[in-house]
Amino acid sequence: MSPRGWDVPADLEKDPATIPDPATTDVPQQLRESIEAHMANYPDRRSAALPALAAAQRLHGWCSPEAIEQVACVMSLTPAYLESVASFYDMLETSPVGRHSVYVCTNISCSLRGGDDLYESFVAAAGEDLDFNVRAFECLGACDIAPMASVDGVYVGPLTTDDVRQVLDDVKAGRDVLPDKQLARRLVADPHANAEEYPLHPPEGAR
Amino acid sequence: MPRPEHPTITFTIDGREVQAPENAMLVDAAKLGDVEIPVFCYEPKLGQPVGACRMCLVEIEGIPKLQTGCSTPVKDGMVVYTESERVKTAQQSVVEFLLINHPLDCPVCDKGGECPLQDITFGWGGGISRFIEPKRHFVKPLELSPLIAIDRERCILCYRCVRFSQEISEDYQLVLLERGAHSYVATFDGHPYVAPFSGNIVELCPVGALTSRPYRFRARPWDIEGAGSVCTLCPAQCNTTITVRDERALRVLARQNDEVDDGWLCDKGRFAYQSFHVEERITEPLLRDGGQLRPVTWERALTEAAAALKRAGEHSAAIVGGQSTNEEGLLLGELMRGALGSNDIDSRRAGALDLDLQRRLAEPTLQARVSDLEFAHAVLVLDADPVNDAPIFDLRLRKGIRRNGLQLAVASPGETSLDENARAIARYAPGAGAAFVRALCAELSGAGDVAALAQQAGSDAEQVKAVAALLRGGGGEAREIVVLWGERLTASPNADAGAQALLELADGFGMRSIEGAGLLEIPASSNGRGLREAGALPNAGPGYADSPSGRDASAIAEALCDGSLAALYLLGSDPLRELADRELWERALTGASTVVAHAAFLTEGIREHADVVFPAEVYAEKEGTIVHPDGRLQRLRPAIGRSGEVRAGWQVLSELSLRLGHDLDVLTATMASRKLFEAVPFYAGLTLEEISGRGVRWQEREAAAALPAPEQAEAVAGELASIDSVEAAERAGYRSVWDSAEVEFSPALEFLYPRRELVGG
Amino acid sequence: MASAAPPVLLFKDIDEPGLATREVYERRGGYESMRKALAMTPEQVLEQLEGSGLRGRGGAGFSMGKKVSFLPKGAMDKYLVCNADESEPGTFKDRELMQKTPHMLIEGIVIASYAAGANRSFIYIRGEYVLQADALDAALAEAREAGYVGEDILGSGHSLSLVVHRGAGAYICGEETGLLDSLEGKRGNPRLKPPFPANQGLYQGPTLINNVETLSTVPTIIAMGGAEYAKLGVETSTGTKLVSVSGHVRRPGNYEIELGIPSREIIYGLAGGPEVGRKVKCWFPGGSSSPVLKEEDLDIPYDFNSLAGAGSMLGSGAIIVVDDSTPILDVAMKTAKFYRHESCGKCTPCREGTNWTVTMLERIDTGEATPMDLEIMASVQEHIIGNCLCVLGDAMAMPIGSMIAKFRDEFEAHIEAARAKRTLGSDSALEAQGALEEPPGLLLASDGSGDQAPGAHDGAPGTHRGGA
Repeated sequence: MSPRGWDVPADLEKDPATIPDPATTDVPQQLRESIEAHMANYPDRRSAALPALAAAQRLHGWCSPEAIEQVACVMSLTPAYLESVASFYDMLETSPVGRHSVYVCTNISCSLRGGDDLYESFVAAAGEDLDFNVRAFECLGACDIAPMASVDGVYVGPLTTDDVRQVLDDVKAGRDVLPDKQLARRLVADPHANAEEYPLHPPEGAR
Repeated sequence: MPRPEHPTITFTIDGREVQAPENAMLVDAAKLGDVEIPVFCYEPKLGQPVGACRMCLVEIEGIPKLQTGCSTPVKDGMVVYTESERVKTAQQSVVEFLLINHPLDCPVCDKGGECPLQDITFGWGGGISRFIEPKRHFVKPLELSPLIAIDRERCILCYRCVRFSQEISEDYQLVLLERGAHSYVATFDGHPYVAPFSGNIVELCPVGALTSRPYRFRARPWDIEGAGSVCTLCPAQCNTTITVRDERALRVLARQNDEVDDGWLCDKGRFAYQSFHVEERITEPLLRDGGQLRPVTWERALTEAAAALKRAGEHSAAIVGGQSTNEEGLLLGELMRGALGSNDIDSRRAGALDLDLQRRLAEPTLQARVSDLEFAHAVLVLDADPVNDAPIFDLRLRKGIRRNGLQLAVASPGETSLDENARAIARYAPGAGAAFVRALCAELSGAGDVAALAQQAGSDAEQVKAVAALLRGGGGEAREIVVLWGERLTASPNADAGAQALLELADGFGMRSIEGAGLLEIPASSNGRGLREAGALPNAGPGYADSPSGRDASAIAEALCDGSLAALYLLGSDPLRELADRELWERALTGASTVVAHAAFLTEGIREHADVVFPAEVYAEKEGTIVHPDGRLQRLRPAIGRSGEVRAGWQVLSELSLRLGHDLDVLTATMASRKLFEAVPFYAGLTLEEISGRGVRWQEREAAAALPAPEQAEAVAGELASIDSVEAAERAGYRSVWDSAEVEFSPALEFLYPRRELVGG
Repeated sequence: MASAAPPVLLFKDIDEPGLATREVYERRGGYESMRKALAMTPEQVLEQLEGSGLRGRGGAGFSMGKKVSFLPKGAMDKYLVCNADESEPGTFKDRELMQKTPHMLIEGIVIASYAAGANRSFIYIRGEYVLQADALDAALAEAREAGYVGEDILGSGHSLSLVVHRGAGAYICGEETGLLDSLEGKRGNPRLKPPFPANQGLYQGPTLINNVETLSTVPTIIAMGGAEYAKLGVETSTGTKLVSVSGHVRRPGNYEIELGIPSREIIYGLAGGPEVGRKVKCWFPGGSSSPVLKEEDLDIPYDFNSLAGAGSMLGSGAIIVVDDSTPILDVAMKTAKFYRHESCGKCTPCREGTNWTVTMLERIDTGEATPMDLEIMASVQEHIIGNCLCVLGDAMAMPIGSMIAKFRDEFEAHIEAARAKRTLGSDSALEAQGALEEPPGLLLASDGSGDQAPGAHDGAPGTHRGGA
């Protein structure tokens, strides 16, 4: 498998990709404002590269050349610089993907508890559905709910392969994904952590 | 800004005591003890070390882990081992790692034989590979730009090329994409890497991943020789090494001279060698016969030229092109004045400048060096756009800003490539540089109506104030200020006013008495400074000597039109391309009874109007001297064989002069140079050996005192012509260095030519 | 030494509804430490921090107080960066803090910035932690509104800006200099050190970088007093520590322990140990970057120095337990692939070494390796260790090296079995050889769901088992 661009020569008919000209680059107003607000957060505008690219990705679905050019225009950077940044980070997509991301953790702790099978199930269930971007992801930092997945940013687990269909259906229907398995509702495992009046979770033996 | 000073320390390397400047990186310090520490990613020209390749690991007493020699500053008493078992193991393992994904296709690689990866593998590698897995394969080579091919299999990810793009030329076009073992060098979305200095990445690449498309497969290292030279394709005069095979130039490489080029070249300097060997080159004498230029013998051409010039006598004039050597300028001056009795000779594009002002501007204490651009507190780029006027200065200013906190102000009629890096920018009307400097002086001195003066310059008083504030600084201490100014500032009709204002500005900053401060002119032509000093001027003889006044370039054109001049000698110049007011020159060339052209390329002015054409040398064929904008005499030596029947310029002039009854007494190139050193008082005592490969600034020699003093006690301010009248002249007279015959006729650079102008970053 | 009743500091009332709001946090005594600290001089605050003996909770375990003291004095922009890029496999403790008690972190940041003289601060949180970043943003808005963050905090003269900066998925950004580059909007490539961040960090300015847990501990230290805090734990590892336990244990999760308790107490006592009938085969004591330990190492006290003494490290405090159902090759493969994926590519040994290691492991799995390859693999790990620009290369080479050293027999058996399978072409041949106790090439897929009934565990003391 070759990453995009490895084997592609430069198109010598194109002009060099310098900083896009604001006069000829159309940037959606909302995106521009969002990027400018991020830039204002930092002493150096470049620091806003990640949030700006993330904002562009939300709008365009991925960091398309067009999206990158828009960010480059607002930030006054070259598109190559931003492409270089975008391609470094796993969450920024430099080729087209489905709108809904399903990151399935396949790192060690989840793998030990079935993460690889879970991932395969998601791939099989999502099938050719172009709405989904199912990816095997490195440790998502939720080994306490292993095996788990991050569905459009919402952590759910522990999942079994039986949950997969439900997850995808919830996403399709715009529903809250597996509410009972969301990390947001999970209590800390430490039995000493909470005062008596707070319920302990998970209740012993409930699983 | 004080330049860093490094006391000498003593350290021990592989049991040897070595003296080195304190805090030099170990890799560099080791060389002083004849110890080589291998490196791939380290290249001091690229700025701070990055320690990425790990090839330079060494053992230092007292530090448990191996350290990268590229990033460890040497200290007194340090004890370093580069040959211990630990170090050897580490070095061998890094070589082994690097070769994992390297195709080892050396037999078909352009870099083979001059490849650091080969050398280091041989010198420090283990000699075997334990890697038996399949290597990665990619389509190769691919075009990265019209000039550069990329072979991603060979890339060892040393980061040099992308660091160059990001930290030296700051064009940010070439980057790494992806991450880890998948990382690869690329541009955005398949755009080509086209930037003024892109070719440097080929030279920086320590493997055959980036190769020059024009050079690919033209030669193997054992087929070629390197010839030290100096590029005369723009005023920056970068030092080069020309790769020669069978008397032809196949490649141009940088020959690092920190006082000139810092080891970089622009793409014109690097690739325009192709024009040395093209059909447009004139390689034999030509004579107009029945309206057509036809080849003739030298004898015939010289006879015809001599006869025509003799007929015209004092009604002859000469235009000296910017790539002419000092010697050529001197000899032609003597031919014109001595053999023909004419003072109508000019090498300036911009019109005559008062001789007294020229002497003032040449004063040694006022001259900044190139390295001052890097270490000054502040630099004002005035009436210039370095990337289009002397490209390599653009990189030097970026370096100063990036590394030394140099503060940059730009004052120019149009946008420049350095605007992004400037802390203050002022715009004024084209041709109104003199008026702008007056406004600036008024603001700095507090005397005069800044608003009115700014308005006269077509500028904005606030911008004038911003530039002044930046130059003045906050602390009130004496500051090293350098003004990098374009010759346009002293263009007719405001030549004298511009020079006078500039001198006032210099004195306002006390430049004469501050080391590291000064003026640095970018002449409008490559050897503009040398030709003036050699006396190729209508109002001065060699060494700015008094001389009866003649016509400047545009007056010559007028006189040719109205018949008061008859013959014109063009030394390396096509006025239709290079001089202001093309329409006037069309008429002048048509009106001239005889045009003798000494030219390398058959450009339109020569093709349509020359009656006799002498084939001229290109710089790689020449022998002689030129003068860098900072007064550094540099030496040209023949690197390649002269094309066809081309003869040396000095020889042709000497021969012609003899036929006109005036013996220049020059039988060799060395004699021509000696004649120059004798003719220009402030060159007195110079020898070619002294100039050598690095050049000599005449201001730093004793003879500098022989520069004639100005006759007037004060520089006299000229009248300012109104902006409207100069605007047209300015537009017509200015040429980017990228708009030249060499660019047009080099197949590799042809793609640049339509642009005629480059904007960096 | 560890006391019988474990102190709960960071996790106190962690699940109280609304603790993430300022109202509840303050009702529980929140921001009192900040008031107390701002009434002291910065030097006095620093004294408390140094006196607490608090060691960084991110992985390197460097003294927090010392780190603060390294920042140059004088008027200039100084930065405090909270490293919330919790990406070390097996680690999820900071997540819990940021999500449930974000004000504690903010309070810690304000106090630490006061001690360090920092005027600008950032929380660099990994992009995947959406819920937690949102919680921080909400808390930050409340804190700003209350005047706890901003100009002249509570009239103390101390000003601090704070921005929550979301990453975008790169493990290497947890490395402090990679984090700084990333925060500057670049690729997250680690930098050469020196210069160290304390002198030239973010935007070339002096920068203090601390982990979430470290900074979240600061309010407690100020409240208790550094000396009192130092009484917890053991001499070289003071205080409590959040430990994330995962993998083959019955109750994976975060636990707050007093440093110095036996590791067995955490793995078996708190987390319940492996399922019945399974034994601990190996465990990573401090994230997947730490050299693995074996079952016989379970009684090693869980603290910085004891684990270092055992040839491993406490790291991020993430214990990953692998039971005897899993082939060591699979563990090695997961580990190596992770580091290959996350290597930034800047330095040679890491970029090429991680890649080569994975390809060698794959050859072992496909039966294309010989025992000699094991030697090569071991030597490749040695060539990586200590020779890289940052610690990522070592982070693979140390655990892989430890696996080869400690499970050499199993690797060799695997090589032979896989070769046999390749040669003979069937699983039955492999089984017939009996070379492997466990089927190769498959991670425990189905029996990790935890359905088995809880059972006894080998001799783990029950003192720390809540609800037991």
